[in-house]
Amino acid sequence: MVLKNMNDLKRLVEGGPRKKLILAAAQDQHSLGAVIRAWKDNIIEPILVGDKDGIQNICTLNNYDITGVRIIHESDPEMSVEIAVKMVSSKQADILMKGKIGSATLLKCVLNKEWGLRTGNLLSHFALFEVETYPKVIAVTDVAMNIAPTLQDKIAIVNNSVACLNRLGYKIPKVAVLGAVEMVNENMKATLDAALLSKMNQRDQIKNCIIDGPLAFDNAVSLESAQLKGIKSEVAGDTDLLLMPDIEVGNVLYKSLVFFAKAKVASIILGALVPIVLTSRSDSEQAKFDSILLAAAACK
Amino acid sequence: MLTLNKRYRIAVAWAQDTNTIGAIDKAVKKGFVDAILIGKSSEIRKTCKIQGIDEKRFTLIESDNEIHASSEAVRLAKAGEADIVMKGLVGTDKFLRAVMDKEKGLMLPNAVLSYVGAMEIPAYNKLLFITDPAVIPFPDLDQKVSMARYAIEMARRFGVKKPRVALIGASEKMSRHFNSSVDYSIMCKMADRNEIKDCIMDGPLDIFLACDKKSIEIKGVETPVNGEADILLFPSLESSNPFYKGIMLFANGELAGLVRGTEKPVIVMSRSESEKSKYFCIALSCLMA
Repeated sequence: MVLKNMNDLKRLVEGGPRKKLILAAAQDQHSLGAVIRAWKDNIIEPILVGDKDGIQNICTLNNYDITGVRIIHESDPEMSVEIAVKMVSSKQADILMKGKIGSATLLKCVLNKEWGLRTGNLLSHFALFEVETYPKVIAVTDVAMNIAPTLQDKIAIVNNSVACLNRLGYKIPKVAVLGAVEMVNENMKATLDAALLSKMNQRDQIKNCIIDGPLAFDNAVSLESAQLKGIKSEVAGDTDLLLMPDIEVGNVLYKSLVFFAKAKVASIILGALVPIVLTSRSDSEQAKFDSILLAAAACK
Repeated sequence: MLTLNKRYRIAVAWAQDTNTIGAIDKAVKKGFVDAILIGKSSEIRKTCKIQGIDEKRFTLIESDNEIHASSEAVRLAKAGEADIVMKGLVGTDKFLRAVMDKEKGLMLPNAVLSYVGAMEIPAYNKLLFITDPAVIPFPDLDQKVSMARYAIEMARRFGVKKPRVALIGASEKMSRHFNSSVDYSIMCKMADRNEIKDCIMDGPLDIFLACDKKSIEIKGVETPVNGEADILLFPSLESSNPFYKGIMLFANGELAGLVRGTEKPVIVMSRSESEKSKYFCIALSCLMA
């Protein structure tokens, strides 16, 4: 099964058991708006940790009715993150979401050795794009978290992402390891790592997916351009997941898709005890809502 | 099985020993070789006499030392007066120095000098080409790629259109701690992308997975080489050299081999090798000339 668009993602989580989502530093208009929408759509059951007055002001201004929603008052944003993370680590919530707080502060708490959400896995960013010019959604990793992943990091990033795609219903997702060219070139480390990841996949050292790379972006998403180049690949033109060589390529691709291709995007952090919705404070309410859908679908 | 249509001129450096002269004589009698023997004429004549070989079948060139004899053999090949160069009783290092000389030698521009052997093993149903049991101690990626290409070229000369190349390791897993498995993974991708042509390549594979179908079933490893390897590429001289010597000693294997990367075939073998294997080498070099 593949997801064609964000509506398919919504259908995937609709009607299922409601996930408990905890919003840390909840006094943030876009986050709160997205959370309340997902609550009204019966996708999640929210717990708001934050400044009660701030939360209520936003609700009054926007006519949000939050009768029945549990609010834990904590006026200090950092403390509210700590409370939220501790509740997740004691299994009181299925999803953690960032409100009006910096990403660094939230991640520091997530990585706390005593009460954080570490699992031993690398944390990685996973984004899902709906683009009109591609027949299905395309996942991209890692565009925001790991700066210059080593081979070992890339293996962990692929494993995180494949496990997530498996939960979204992709039995054997097709993974393209992105390079500037489809040939192996000793001077381009990304192409060498791509060859190693392909071999590890063939040998079942990376499971539950088909990996091919290096593939240039055009070969990865267009069968025609792969065929023009004479590339024989099960992945080319049918990519479910694009693995970026580093954050610079990833971030530019992410922003190009959003700004030039008007892509819809949902994104979460993987590798912690639960999926984390860590959208940028400047992301739209829609992107935050779609990210909540993704997190709900990615829950174990 | 293979027919040679012309006579190849072989220049033999320091051709004074019984095994070399015996092998050359056999090839000359079979009619596919003309031989130029370079060395101490008196010694060559003496050996011929003892062996009952007619020295008039050969062209003799007088030389009083092995270094001169080597460079003379190379000069003849370079000048087009010989098609093949062969090492006689001279040490391999001195002989190869003449072959690799930057101005007067036989190296192709930017080529890697390497060695490909063809092994006949009674327990295997076809010829097995191996590389590199003689020249490169620890090949890097570029050298491994050249080794593969040379071996593929040789197997194709023997009529194997798309040889199956097994890149040999201790296990079939990719591990960044084993440099060869890293290189092999890269080479497989190069073969996927047609940067290494005309072959079916897989590796790392151990020798069982490379040459034995039963092991594939038992281990459940999917590999296009399918236990039918035509070529074994080894990670080092220290692994390939004992392999071929073990096969010769314990499994009655025969090896014929050739240096590659040169303008013309160069025969290098251990001085102690038998007349029979030297004869096979001569035949092989004619095929590759």
